[in-house]
This record gives sequence, structure tokens and C-alpha cells, in this order.
Amino acid sequence: MKLGRVVGVVWASRKVKEMDGCRMYILQPVSSEGVSTELPLVAADPKGLAAPGDTVVYVTSTDATQAFDSGYAPVNASIVELVDGIS
Amino acid sequence: MIFARVIGTVVSSQKDPNLSGKKLLLCREVDHEGKPLKSYHVAVDAVQAGEGSFVLLSYGSSARMTEETKNAPIDAVIMAIVDDVQITHWSGDE
Repeated sequence: MKLGRVVGVVWASRKVKEMDGCRMYILQPVSSEGVSTELPLVAADPKGLAAPGDTVVYVTSTDATQAFDSGYAPVNASIVELVDGIS
Repeated sequence: MIFARVIGTVVSSQKDPNLSGKKLLLCREVDHEGKPLKSYHVAVDAVQAGEGSFVLLSYGSSARMTEETKNAPIDAVIMAIVDDVQITHWSGDE
């Protein structure tokens, strides 16, 4: 799991039915100080946790599919936690 | 998921039986603004994308997780057609 910041929104009205009602965001991977660490990526937000500007925890690879209740969706990254603060 | 632009159709008459009836599209990876990047992918179309469409492509084993691609020997699927991308909080250092 990694830290990221929501820097953009992806609008897609036509998508596979496994993704129905699921928003997608552009995430900038960041360090705990908020410094960019990797290239941005697109992540799904199956639980509706995030909004633009938020810091989140996301998972990548096949594990990202487990963030969906069905455990079944064609995603490579999913937002799984909204970060309130890091101490 | 990565952004891609559909640039062509791949036609094939001899293929794995689990691929029959699936439309294969040639896609070029692009950035969030649609600017072409280096890599190309052949992807199964699960959303009736057409040539020129700006799409989202999922790759790896996750690509099999749609009704269209279940149990098929594939590693890339077009899972959404992108209407718009809004950058709201770019920090400017990427």
C-alpha cells in the first residue's frame, strides 16, 4: 500500500458493468511530507472515500480488485483509505 | 489503469478458442492530455470502443476480471471510454 494525493478526476460514462458507480481519480504518489515520489496513475475509488486534494492510501496490482465488494473488477489500482493525518 | 488511444483493429482468423468473438484493438499509450507515449498494447474491447477513442486500459491479471474477458488468455482490456480528465491539484513538479 502506498500514499497518494488525489490530483485529478477521470470522467467516463461508458465503462464495464463491474465498474458501475465507481469513480476514478488521478493519483500522485507522495511521501509522508507530500513530495512526489513516482509518476501519477489512475486509481478506482470503489468505496467513495476520496475527493480531489485528499491524501489517500492505495493498493496496486491484482490486490486492487479486492477493494471492490465483489472482489471482481478490472482495475490496477484502488483507493482503500482516506488519510486524516500522519504522525 | 493507463490512458490509451485506439489506433487500429487487429484481425485474426486462427486464435485460441477462448478468444473467439472478442474484438482486439491496437492501442497506443497516451498521457492524461492524450499526448502519445512510447508503448503499444493489443487489448480486448469490453466497452465497444471505436478507432480514435480515448480509453482506459487495464493490464495484467486484472484484465480478466470482466464478463467479457473471464477465463480468456489476455492481459489487457479496454474497460472505460474517457469523456474528460480534470486536473484539479497538480503540484507542478511532475
